[in-house]
Amino acid sequence: MKQLVIDFQKCDAGRNCNHECEMECAIKVFKVDDPAQAALQIKAYEEGGGKAILCDQCGDCVVVCPSEALKRNKLGVVMIDKQLCVGCYMCIGFCEKDAFMRNPDWIVPHKCTSCGICVKVCPHGALSIVDVPEPAVRII
Amino acid sequence: MSQLVFDPSKVMDIDYTQRTDYLDGLAAIKAAHKVLKEITYTPSLPDKGYTNRTLYVNVGSLEITEKPVTQQMKDVFIGGRGFGLYHLWNAVKPTTRWNDPENEIIISPGPVAGMTQYAGTGKSLVVSLSPQTDIPIDSNVGGFYGPLLKFSGFDGLELQGKSDKDIILFIDGVKGIIRIEEAPKDPVDSHVLAEVLTHMYAENEKDLPNISVVSTGAAAEHSLIGMLNFSFYDRRRKCVRFKQAGRGGIGTVFRDKRIRALVVRGPKVAGDLNHPADPETIAKTGIKFHKEMRENDGTQCMMRRNGTAHIVEIMDAYDLLPVHNFQYGSHPDVHKIDSSYWQQRCTQHTVDGCWYGCSMACAKGADGLVLKTGPYKGDMVTVDGPEYENAAGLGSNCGVFDPDYLLELNFYCDTYGICTITYGTLTAFVMECYQRGILNQERTGGLEMTWGNAEADLEMMHQMARGEGFGKIAGLGVKKMKEYFIKQGWGDPQLINDIGMENKGLEYSQYMSKESLAQQGGYALTNKGPQHDEAWLIFMDMVNKQLPTFEDKAEALYYFPLFRTWFGLNGFCKLPWNDVVPADNSSQPEAHKVPEHVQNYVDLFSATTGIKISKEDLIIQSAKVYNFQRVFNIRMGKGLRLHDAAPYRSLGPVTKEEYESRAERYDQQIITEMDLDPAGKTTEEKMAMHRQWRTERFSKLMDSVYTRRGWTLDGVPTLARLKELGLDAFPEVVEVVKQHL
Amino acid sequence: MIVVNEEPLAWHPGMTVRDVLRARNYRFPMLVIHVNDALIQKTDYDTTSIPDGAVVKVIHLISGG
Repeated sequence: MKQLVIDFQKCDAGRNCNHECEMECAIKVFKVDDPAQAALQIKAYEEGGGKAILCDQCGDCVVVCPSEALKRNKLGVVMIDKQLCVGCYMCIGFCEKDAFMRNPDWIVPHKCTSCGICVKVCPHGALSIVDVPEPAVRII
Repeated sequence: MSQLVFDPSKVMDIDYTQRTDYLDGLAAIKAAHKVLKEITYTPSLPDKGYTNRTLYVNVGSLEITEKPVTQQMKDVFIGGRGFGLYHLWNAVKPTTRWNDPENEIIISPGPVAGMTQYAGTGKSLVVSLSPQTDIPIDSNVGGFYGPLLKFSGFDGLELQGKSDKDIILFIDGVKGIIRIEEAPKDPVDSHVLAEVLTHMYAENEKDLPNISVVSTGAAAEHSLIGMLNFSFYDRRRKCVRFKQAGRGGIGTVFRDKRIRALVVRGPKVAGDLNHPADPETIAKTGIKFHKEMRENDGTQCMMRRNGTAHIVEIMDAYDLLPVHNFQYGSHPDVHKIDSSYWQQRCTQHTVDGCWYGCSMACAKGADGLVLKTGPYKGDMVTVDGPEYENAAGLGSNCGVFDPDYLLELNFYCDTYGICTITYGTLTAFVMECYQRGILNQERTGGLEMTWGNAEADLEMMHQMARGEGFGKIAGLGVKKMKEYFIKQGWGDPQLINDIGMENKGLEYSQYMSKESLAQQGGYALTNKGPQHDEAWLIFMDMVNKQLPTFEDKAEALYYFPLFRTWFGLNGFCKLPWNDVVPADNSSQPEAHKVPEHVQNYVDLFSATTGIKISKEDLIIQSAKVYNFQRVFNIRMGKGLRLHDAAPYRSLGPVTKEEYESRAERYDQQIITEMDLDPAGKTTEEKMAMHRQWRTERFSKLMDSVYTRRGWTLDGVPTLARLKELGLDAFPEVVEVVKQHL
Repeated sequence: MIVVNEEPLAWHPGMTVRDVLRARNYRFPMLVIHVNDALIQKTDYDTTSIPDGAVVKVIHLISGG
């Protein structure tokens, strides 16, 4: 399955960039001029280094979704079907990586779909899309 | 949370395509339908939780009208059970009985119902005059009907009148059509009927989840204990499943009106259909709760794995699991039907909420059961459950410890339209009567009703569905069986009355109350009859010793019934309140009330309706409806102290075997509680000492509880209490009470 | 001797909260436990030892369908 990964050897958690990845995602994917709505979030730790909040396509949300709005596509990426979503936000509450996002203006939640738009704009080349095996489905 | 990993190639434990299909006759059944009445209306979505109208349908005269929801209805009755009682009061007279045409069945979901962001928000309350108790019964039920009714434009549905032919009421909330159809060839039992109707009224496969059916089964036509099944379509299993409005025989009223089914086709559900005043607060509160479930459920109740069956072994460990008609509180074979078994038997890797957004997901299902008896023998079915009440009632209370038979009993109760709690308690009574010679094979028409004889038990149930033999007598319920057995001269009347576990005509639910005085009140001092949904105080009282005085017990019997009434006014389920708790709950004051969750409810109500309330207001809202219901009981000729009397089996040991099985405990109580000396006394003498002490303290409890509730010692709400609650605005209510003051 | 929910229980050196739960067959998972008025976290049940004469409260939260 396609998975977005970040290399913190290269990413400096936004200390020497303008969070281009977040901006590009927000504008191109979600059509909003607000990086807080991007499907990946880069956070810098005060003591140095940082972390990224992003979806690794683990599929836990697919298991808990009551309306079958979440399914893997052919590339193994977990996609949300807005027509089927009932806005219950169990996907948000059950995501251990806090990677499911919610824009207060939208009823349907959103997350990273490994589209790779952010990869191209990272000035440090820290982001990439990799192909990894799908993890086993878990009982949650 | 502990997690299992399973083979992802297996979507379900069983191949659901092997499940028996009942759709063969669909075309012929549909062709036989004849439209008796059709009207069009303008569908609308709720605004701040209310659509501001209810639907009135008279199945006899075929009248279909809309009624406005008044501000007074919202202020005093809120919704759900409150609306049900309000409509029922206006529909009936003191002389009305369950099978009179003016009796109604009212279904109302409440303002919060239909919210998808918090767990347990899809409930409806069903209210009617009960064939078992002759007073209003209220039954709280999940499934999709209530929310879809509201999203079709109605805060409630009133059904009145009696039809002379079998009919279906269809509400199409998308097209704006309401239709009464004659349904001469429809199947009778719910698991067939609801599957057929779901497919008949869905426009295509995608539409299946937008259909919900309310139905009952064959036993509702021949017994007083009929229940209603509320369906929801399980997308993963691709089958129709049910939650039950079980208590008090509403299914019997349904069939007496010759309603075969109610079908609603709602709009496709989305997260904002309830149009709350403050969606942001609802979203945040819901997500907080979902996280709590993810983080805590695995080390707390494991509701997502086991549902309510998780307490089978807990109740057994505390001597609280009813065994052999509430004689004993534990049994060595309980491990065969405890949650470690059900966890394996119920399909796990699926979604088991009975409404969207329920992260507690307690509605477990056992797939692939091949039936061994009855009209569906050989069929492969999915059984909902078992829940705790079913495992205890159909299982341990009757000595049935064979899980396959337990599932089959559960299945037939559901499809025949029988309340599992009622059936469990009445069968346990029958079995004890058989044990004690009050019944024998001749009197049961050949049924050998020994403890654990599941085959005889099932045969009695099949008889009930066919309206034959002893099953028909059993279907009258414990109260009427007691009267019948005594009239026949089949046994000592006192013994029969002592062991028949009913109060107000309703059978007890499945907890042992003998060692908790507060719970004896929690059962008997209820509005509708002995059901644990008003108060469950056994741990607080018996184990924790948190309620040492009569005043303490009375306070608990004031607060909890009101707190829990509130769920039914709004469309909430009780389980997410306390079957998971926040990690820091133990460090909160009054941890047993789960204060963070109480605040969630206050916030969710305020955010839905736009009316800011406090946790104190919540209790006042309930108190209005609770006292109204008490006065309603009085209006119907019940509702007084004498009607709150409890069978002695619920208060203490009736028989020598019961006493001697817990002799150490009972002897000790004679010393510590009664300040007397058991030495040298016979068991009979000691039982008599217990009886006197236990009945006296129950009577004292009644005094304390009535006083705390603002009632007279005869159990009548005082004028001052009615005034305080604003119920003096209803002259009829005041008039009823005045006659008793 | 210690007191657990108002009733006496024999004490032994090294007795932990877990031992008390076992002795009383308190199997319910939703407990609030105080030893001499100090709240004991669930993670500390195995390691918290109970002094002789202690007053132990094992508050079971409400259960039941």
